[in-house]
Amino acid sequence: MKKKEEVSKKTQEKRKKRKKELDVTLLTPEQQAFLEREEKVNKINDKLNGPVLGITYLFAFLIIGMMAYILHFMIVEKDQVIANAANSRLDKYAANVIRGDIVSSDGKVLATNKEGKRYYPYDSLFAHAVGYSKYTKAGIELVGNYYLSDSNANVLERFVNTLREEKNEGDTVVTTLDYELQKTAYDALGNADGAVVVMEPDTGKILAMVSKPDFNPNNIDTVWEEANKEGSNSSVLLNRASQGLYPPGSTFKVLTTLSYMRQNPLKYKKYTYDCSLEEEIFNGVSVHCYNHKTHGEQDLAAALANSCNQAYADIGIDLDVDKWRDVLEKFLFNKSLPYTDASATSRFYLDGDSDKGYIPQTAFGQGDTLITPLHNAMITATIANGGLMMRPYMIDSIENYKGTRIKKFSPSSYDTLMMAKEVEVLTSYMQQVVTEGTAAAYFSGVSYDVAGKTGTAEYSGGEHDYSWFVGFSSVENPEVVVSVLVEESDVNGIKATSVARKIFDQYYN
Amino acid sequence: MAIIIMNISKYIILILMAMYTLSCFTIFQESSELAKNQKLNKQIIYVFLIHFLSYLTLALNDPERMKEIVIFYGVQIFVAIIYMYVYHYIYPYSSRVIANNMSFLLLIGYTMLNRLDFGQAKKQFVIATASLVMVSVIPLIMDRYKNLRNYGIAYGIAGIMALGSVFVIGVEQYGSRNWISLFGITVQPSEFVKILFVFFVASMLSKRRDFKQVCVITAFAGVHMAVLALEKDLGAALIFFVIFIFMIYVGTGKIRYLIAYVLGGIVMVGLAYLLFKDRLFDHVMIRVNVWKDPWADISGDGYQITQSLFAIGSGGFFGAGLTQGSPDVIPVSESDFIFAAIAEEFGVLFAMALILVCFSCFICFINIAMKVRSRFYKTMAFGFAVCYVFQTFLSIGGVTKFIPSTGVTIPLVSYGGSSVLSSLIMFSIMQGISTIENKEAKKIEEERRSIEEDARKAQKA
Repeated sequence: MKKKEEVSKKTQEKRKKRKKELDVTLLTPEQQAFLEREEKVNKINDKLNGPVLGITYLFAFLIIGMMAYILHFMIVEKDQVIANAANSRLDKYAANVIRGDIVSSDGKVLATNKEGKRYYPYDSLFAHAVGYSKYTKAGIELVGNYYLSDSNANVLERFVNTLREEKNEGDTVVTTLDYELQKTAYDALGNADGAVVVMEPDTGKILAMVSKPDFNPNNIDTVWEEANKEGSNSSVLLNRASQGLYPPGSTFKVLTTLSYMRQNPLKYKKYTYDCSLEEEIFNGVSVHCYNHKTHGEQDLAAALANSCNQAYADIGIDLDVDKWRDVLEKFLFNKSLPYTDASATSRFYLDGDSDKGYIPQTAFGQGDTLITPLHNAMITATIANGGLMMRPYMIDSIENYKGTRIKKFSPSSYDTLMMAKEVEVLTSYMQQVVTEGTAAAYFSGVSYDVAGKTGTAEYSGGEHDYSWFVGFSSVENPEVVVSVLVEESDVNGIKATSVARKIFDQYYN
Repeated sequence: MAIIIMNISKYIILILMAMYTLSCFTIFQESSELAKNQKLNKQIIYVFLIHFLSYLTLALNDPERMKEIVIFYGVQIFVAIIYMYVYHYIYPYSSRVIANNMSFLLLIGYTMLNRLDFGQAKKQFVIATASLVMVSVIPLIMDRYKNLRNYGIAYGIAGIMALGSVFVIGVEQYGSRNWISLFGITVQPSEFVKILFVFFVASMLSKRRDFKQVCVITAFAGVHMAVLALEKDLGAALIFFVIFIFMIYVGTGKIRYLIAYVLGGIVMVGLAYLLFKDRLFDHVMIRVNVWKDPWADISGDGYQITQSLFAIGSGGFFGAGLTQGSPDVIPVSESDFIFAAIAEEFGVLFAMALILVCFSCFICFINIAMKVRSRFYKTMAFGFAVCYVFQTFLSIGGVTKFIPSTGVTIPLVSYGGSSVLSSLIMFSIMQGISTIENKEAKKIEEERRSIEEDARKAQKA
């Protein structure tokens, strides 16, 4: 564009020169008039061209902006965009690639190929986390599908392979999963159904994810057939850690406490409740504590430590329900989780118009509220991380099959959900749960300190119990968050808190 | 063997495309006529090779229809080469760069359509070739009839009536009622009214440029846009608005009009939003929301744009190779979204070069507009330049999620009879203006030379 300007300047100079060379007095009047007119027309033309040039620059700017955007898309956003499971092209490209391996953060191969088939060396140990590559795909096999079916092997090697019509070696997905923690969690859960999520609060890295009942992904054909048989209600393929919805039980009291603190910033420290009767009526509903215990005089910290239902029913009926709901929705109830794999949406049903009779139960975690173990881990991790919620993730990096790193995924934050003061208070309350409250018996004599919350939720009309534990360690410098849910804990006798203890022990081993 | 040929072709096509694109811009630097013509002939060779390699790939991939494809290839390249070589013998003053670009864009369109849907490609070729023959008389007519600038109001009225005709004999297509059916052929009047509108504004401004005249033009433009808005063809309304404000600015040279119209436009949109929130703006809001976050509803409203992004991204810089991607999963990939299809299979680098080729067409148009000295032709040439580049920008910007999608086609590349014919008319008018301008320039140059001669003689004497 600049060139053109220069050119037009040059022609103008030429014109002037030419005119100087001519001795005007020697010309006829007609000729003089012609030259004068030409001069004038050219001047007008130059003036008219000013705006034309201006608008041309404007459009040049727009087009260049668009091209820069496309480049930006290709360099920065592309990989994440096309890795989307809804991109039907991946299968087509996968046909030219030998699917890559999936490995744990400590280098154990979790999925590879053997005799032309997908092979999972640890059978059911990583079943739900790693998933399977056939049918609908699941787990890392689904989320990392793009990387597994892409090849970043040597360019020359790939070119030769293409010409020979041979397949390229797919890339390796390095996960954040830790073999020892996964194994500990898996063994601790034993024969019980349930789920465990272990994650780093400051990064969102998922270190272990277990869901039972599980399956052997090496036999996925039979498992798939069984699970999808007509009339089958098998949930063996459901990853309970991220897709199982459970009543949060007493673990929910943490968020009720936070809501109460926000609505009563001046008086929550002075809160007391006298839990001396076995049963008390709140909003027309009778409430009793676990095993019909009485706790006596309770302040807020003690109420959480002892998991006193009556105190929380009392707190609940004092809450502005709409504001309470706002807090919970900030914490991602009724919202999809910022998590790349499939996850269920936790539910909180109450609002200002709801029947007041639901409030007491909901406040201490019964009622219709539902949560996933992953979501509960994220909430706990937010407290452990000073109020900043991180996006949980399970893929740490991508390497080509020779081990050269192609891409590294960095931790990314979701939002700041709590203030430092709130974090401090809740942490101290949760620590009291472990030092002198409901979890104290499980954590006697440990070398590290833990802050957490236990929970027992009744279901099937009170016949069976769900056992919960969420917590983090250490209190001063939170490094690991554990969320455990055990189904039918009254039958199998496995308590979530003891499962968590084993995992913490392994972590600090 | 076929795979080797196809893979190598992919990269050769890319290199040729880069060379063609480069020559589109370096051609302006050549000062000698001879060097210029050599470069233009080279361009024809690039076009021939790119088209040949693409069709080689298409034919190798579809052995069953190979014969049909080869024949189709033959007629395409025959028409294109004839056009690129012969046109400037008939019209020696026409712009060869524009002729080359025009043929090249048509050929890229045919190739991609051939890959997507053979029937549509054939139909597009027949319509475009018939149109080429028809529009070839346009420069002749423009050269012969110099009083085209006298019918200002008539252009305006004809335009409004043509736009309004959809309310009487309109049919609905793609969810918008902006098509009419004439003798069994569906036509989109707004494509042609665009041209009338540029004529209208140019001729009105060539007469007078006072405030009153500007008001009259504004009133007519307002009616055009209102009718388009009622047809829910907001993409076209936007194109008309942009053509209008920039033509007024260039025609009058007063930037205050431009500022006033931009502000006025914002107020009008705000007002229309308040008044017709539900009726008119529902699908605008949907498009804006989809643009902001298409991932929220991948299988619903966001389907088209996410599929487009998958296509562009999956193809990568070098493309999946012709027939190796799956552009057919993008809805209307043959028309509005053809850019995504091209990017997926020919590669993003090729697609970026294509943007530059389109931009070089715009520069050619602007070049003509700057050189021509008649105010009527200057504003007109400028109007078409803006029309062309803005439409290309809307289309490609929409497909790549740079801006919200407006459902606009890429001139000459996208499938669509009305679009192709109106684009060819536009290009031919530009050739007409180029002819008029070059002839005039030559005459003046001769006159000047004779005066110089006289002066020199007189000096000697």
